[in-house]
Amino acid sequence: MPTWQARVDEGLGDARTRILGVFLILVAILGTYWMHAFANIETVFVASLLAGSLLGRWWTVLVPLTAMAVLQPLEWGTTYRGYAIGAMTGITFFVVSGYVFVGFLGRRIRPKVLLRVKSVALLTTISVPITIGYDLWTAFGEWVFLTRPFGVTLATMLEAQVPFTLYHVLSSLIFVPLFGSAFLFLHAYGWPVRSVDRTSSKPLGRE
Amino acid sequence: MVLRLSERVQAVAFVAIVIVAVAGLYAVVQALQPAAVQTLVIRHARLDVQGEGWSIRYEPVATTNNTAFAILREASVALGFSLTYVPYEIPKGVFVTGINGSMNGDGGRYWEYWVDGSYGTVAADHQGLHDGDMVRWIFSIPSGGG
Repeated sequence: MPTWQARVDEGLGDARTRILGVFLILVAILGTYWMHAFANIETVFVASLLAGSLLGRWWTVLVPLTAMAVLQPLEWGTTYRGYAIGAMTGITFFVVSGYVFVGFLGRRIRPKVLLRVKSVALLTTISVPITIGYDLWTAFGEWVFLTRPFGVTLATMLEAQVPFTLYHVLSSLIFVPLFGSAFLFLHAYGWPVRSVDRTSSKPLGRE
Repeated sequence: MVLRLSERVQAVAFVAIVIVAVAGLYAVVQALQPAAVQTLVIRHARLDVQGEGWSIRYEPVATTNNTAFAILREASVALGFSLTYVPYEIPKGVFVTGINGSMNGDGGRYWEYWVDGSYGTVAADHQGLHDGDMVRWIFSIPSGGG
């Protein structure tokens, strides 16, 4: 029976996987924080998608959950502070579960992801319907917990969501190819280092 | 016969497609941005700010600050009360977070505005004013504009 240490090692993967996982968390938090003035232009989505498709294992859940554990209190504590605890909890559930779902969808395409143009194109292409699905899910949550009590219909809510979903798709079209290429390269080859002895010329194989 | 493109050609084609898609979507996003309010001189506009247990009135004879937000900012400078807000780029607009020390969320209340009795449905810096308009900023529990 494996010890807890062995379970953690297996769940987090090798050193390169762990470093990439932490990098993805930083990309998710810092990118979203820096661009908070641009509605739905964010990096948690791409980080969650890459966590699932490149790293897999526990990172599929760890990346979105850790990023949200930092970003949600920031959001609710500043711009949107003062909402009822029920509304905050409900909307947070939809937002967090949406990103975790993005991670799991990324994991579904994991076996197909290699450092190829086709892989980046695949990630970019599937990011569009996933972004729209994520927005439908969170708009529904916002309607249930925030706007329905004021008599707003779901149709009105979804209509109002359209421009924000366009911003979100724009965000995905920019960040998925950008970070997707960078992380696919790092995942395959690691970091470029000066010493030839310390670097492998052979890309990592798929598991 | 299946045409096989090299990785380099595929990369160039992919980048070109992404650039076109981003540019097209960006153009749509820009087209959806609210139009900026043209600066005009307006006369006898009135501002009424109602906090919890206090109120502020401001009535400039004439002003070029002809939006629901600009007249509020003018009053905050002229009368010396605090005003805090968050400017957003996409979608463009300001979100007023606090007036005269009353911050959004205090007691479940938020700042909302009305112009001549009509609830503000756009960002306050995109709500134009006309001669004699009455702008009301009220610190209240949201009721969906009702």
